[in-house]
Amino acid sequence: MNTELPPGLALQKVDERIMTLNVGPQHPGSGHMRIIVQIDGDFIVACDPDPGYVHRGEEKMAEYRNYITNIPHLERPVIHDSCNILYPYVLGVEELLGIEVPERAKYIRVIAAELNRCVYTMYWLAIYGIFLGHSTMFMWPAGDRELLIDLLEKMTGARVTHAHFVPGGVRNDLPPNFEDVCLRQVNYFEKRIKEYAAIFYDNPILIARTANTGVLSREDAIRLGTTGSVLRASGVDYDIRKKEPYDVYEELDFQTNVLKEGDSYARSKIPWLDMLESCRIIRHALQKMPKSGSVRVKLKPNPKGGDASVYKRVESGRGSLGCYIVSDKKPEPYRVKLSVPSFRNLIALPYLLKGEKLGNMPSVYWSLNYWPVEADR
Amino acid sequence: MNTATGIIKALNSGIKHLAIKRFTLRYPEEKLKFVGDGYQFDPSTGVGIAGYKGRHMLFHDHCTGCQLCSIACEGVAEAIAMVKVPNEWKQNKKAIMPQIDYGKCVFCGLCVDACPFYALYMTNDYELSSFSKEGLIYTPAQLQVKPFVSQDSEIKITSRGATHG
Repeated sequence: MNTELPPGLALQKVDERIMTLNVGPQHPGSGHMRIIVQIDGDFIVACDPDPGYVHRGEEKMAEYRNYITNIPHLERPVIHDSCNILYPYVLGVEELLGIEVPERAKYIRVIAAELNRCVYTMYWLAIYGIFLGHSTMFMWPAGDRELLIDLLEKMTGARVTHAHFVPGGVRNDLPPNFEDVCLRQVNYFEKRIKEYAAIFYDNPILIARTANTGVLSREDAIRLGTTGSVLRASGVDYDIRKKEPYDVYEELDFQTNVLKEGDSYARSKIPWLDMLESCRIIRHALQKMPKSGSVRVKLKPNPKGGDASVYKRVESGRGSLGCYIVSDKKPEPYRVKLSVPSFRNLIALPYLLKGEKLGNMPSVYWSLNYWPVEADR
Repeated sequence: MNTATGIIKALNSGIKHLAIKRFTLRYPEEKLKFVGDGYQFDPSTGVGIAGYKGRHMLFHDHCTGCQLCSIACEGVAEAIAMVKVPNEWKQNKKAIMPQIDYGKCVFCGLCVDACPFYALYMTNDYELSSFSKEGLIYTPAQLQVKPFVSQDSEIKITSRGATHG
């Protein structure tokens, strides 16, 4: 009798030295995902990331809603970076419907997206700090994040999940006197995050724990298809804001940050350098923004796209975030596909952890700038 | 930089904070100040007015019972139901008005964008917790009441750091 068991149920021959360890899927260990680690003593032999615990079917949900009512649920995968996850969708729908966005709305969008990138990065930095046992680095970013959340609340009316971008511009104009408040708080924010250098990034204890762990070479970073901070920490100068400028990014003065080391320290430093760059972008955008004008194009109710498809991508807090929309002359999109940076960076994890000590796992895993909910969509 | 000076610098940057004011907001004794009276929408220009997206406010003398807010909410949260109101208004012969379930509402404000008659706005009220699920359902009569929201503190930046003052 042929007793072949389905895969997964068959017993595997186990080496006595190897122990299998589940990290997660409980939230405090790893976010909403599981990492199956095989260890030999203190060293990791193999690692298998197991995402998918918070799959919500965002892409399927998008097929049953029209172009406007898709907005509130599409930003749920990354509530802290909700402007950036909506950005490619909104740019795509605008191209499908053939809408020209007013100049002032473009600047408001750039300011909101950069503020949101900082909010996300501060949240990530807080988690990165606490997973390395540095509880001051949990408290400081979590507190200073409030400066920018306050600005976004004044701008959009919500502290997270703003639902601010719509095809055709933004939902509402800036409140009166916003420019002064924004400039004051962003300047203070920049001064604060520069203080993080002494306590965190130049701290010899952090450098000892993260330098030369999980090194990703330039060639591997390109071959694995990583993006964003992971790619730029490995020495590849690739930023969507520079390579495929959307809205008004080509008129703004900023630079991309590249480090050559490719280790966990470089990967954690790139988002911090990006935040300093974001402060420059916000200041420059506030300066160049037209002082008055329309911020939203009036759309017909239930707008319909043509028989076309469109792919747009933006640089989010984690890397390139793309949105592919297919329309078939109905008020609802035929298909919405999100290409998320978290999932693409997670692919590097098994390669980085092989041969590392188990104690280095949190620093390598969180340095990938990974957001489990976004990867599962 | 050698290890000793690095550690001393790190400790020093923390110790500096003993002299800096506390940034924490002491909720519920202190409450945040918002801009404006809540998110509103002007259908003639098609642009909203910046404000906090909190509990809704319904103007009974403007509502026509057209159900556009309920239709806008269908794909989002299905929080709005149209219910009968006892007295009939001359612009609202059907005598139906929205009733909002705050257990479902996501505060996106798309219902406010959908209203063409200046009848539905949002207010600064965000303290909506209740002991029962029924308590979260706001009838048209409850939505008519303008909330009292105390707002006192906003972020102040001084030479000794930022505070909620």
